[in-house]
Amino acid sequence: MSPALLIARKEAGELLLSQRGLAWLMAMTAALSGFALLLVSNTELSLLDNAQVVYDMVGIVGALGALLAIVVGIDSTGGERERGSLVPLLLVPASREAILLGKIGGIAIAWAVMHGLALPYLWAVGSTGQNMVQGAIILALLGTPAVLGFGFLGIVLGVRLASARSGLLAGLIVLLLSASPLLLGPGLRQSAIGRAFDAVNPFSSLVNAADAAIIDSQAIVAQWDHILVAYLWLALTLWLARAGFRRIVQ
Amino acid sequence: MKLVLFAAACLVVFATAASAETLAVDLTPDPRNPTSPQMGDNLAFHTVIRNTGAQAVDGVIAWISLVQIDKGKEQPIDLEDWSAHKAVTAASLPPGQTLATDWPMRLIQAGNYRVVVSAVSRDGTRLVASPFADFTVRQKPVVESQRVLPVALGVPLLLAGAMLLRGRKR
Repeated sequence: MSPALLIARKEAGELLLSQRGLAWLMAMTAALSGFALLLVSNTELSLLDNAQVVYDMVGIVGALGALLAIVVGIDSTGGERERGSLVPLLLVPASREAILLGKIGGIAIAWAVMHGLALPYLWAVGSTGQNMVQGAIILALLGTPAVLGFGFLGIVLGVRLASARSGLLAGLIVLLLSASPLLLGPGLRQSAIGRAFDAVNPFSSLVNAADAAIIDSQAIVAQWDHILVAYLWLALTLWLARAGFRRIVQ
Repeated sequence: MKLVLFAAACLVVFATAASAETLAVDLTPDPRNPTSPQMGDNLAFHTVIRNTGAQAVDGVIAWISLVQIDKGKEQPIDLEDWSAHKAVTAASLPPGQTLATDWPMRLIQAGNYRVVVSAVSRDGTRLVASPFADFTVRQKPVVESQRVLPVALGVPLLLAGAMLLRGRKR
């Protein structure tokens, strides 16, 4: 088995088999459950347009996935360094690229698990209405690069900042800013600054594409500009993660 | 001379005021509208704005308004979620000409509603309103507890079970 695959399995095992990783996943699903229960228990919310509910759920899953990815990313470098396990890992007979690939694999598996856990919620709130399938496709197509990008950013922050706590704080601030389109509707982002922010923000891409495909029933292929921004974000953060990881071993 | 100027000014004012009054707005629901609509259904209304006067009316603006008329819940409704088509304009409406518009609407909340289309012109002095069109939207629960509860309670419980199993193995 290749070293990258071994490291990815170890990282995924820490998420799926350790108490700490399972506690993270449980916190994520508890948040999704809380939102779903709020939808059925609140008279006003339970009457929301079904497409709106699917759109909201896609946004929340994206935000929680990005949060999980950034935590896993920071933990895979900054956390390992604080636990004293990063240096022994760097000394194993494997290339730095393979080690980084393993770390990236761990983040990808974390997102895949989160995505898998989110699908029943998407079905529960959206199966009677329109565009649930489009919601799942948008989540996979745009949520994946946006979320993985935050995981790669977590790797960079874990490498560059002195402590995992500092990395986590910085990562959460970036994530909060980036996920602001979930709170601020399109009307509040119509200024020149808002439009410029939307043009480069991967989370805006996810939210705007979800809005167009789920609520307005537009074709997913028509969202190519949003897809492009999300994948550019993925490429940029991957490049930063590679550069940061090389620097740690020099 | 002053008397002539005063008379001319009065004529201008009278002509201006009269131009707005020459608009007539008709409002009819689309015959294909569901007879008993429920939340999520789409309705359409048609208006015909006619210039019944002898002079062109410039700068015509017409817009749709929706109010809830349930007892104790009387309120104007923000159309943001209901309709993307909220207004229509015409640079000029010649005498005898009409401006026909369709107003699609998606029903978001249950209740009794009244829709009206209003029109003004650039030089007009008063609002011209269409007749009312009333409709009732039936309630439709969108998120059903039979599907949500098993998932919302089951998934975290499964993970809690996995955590307990891992704890015992250790």
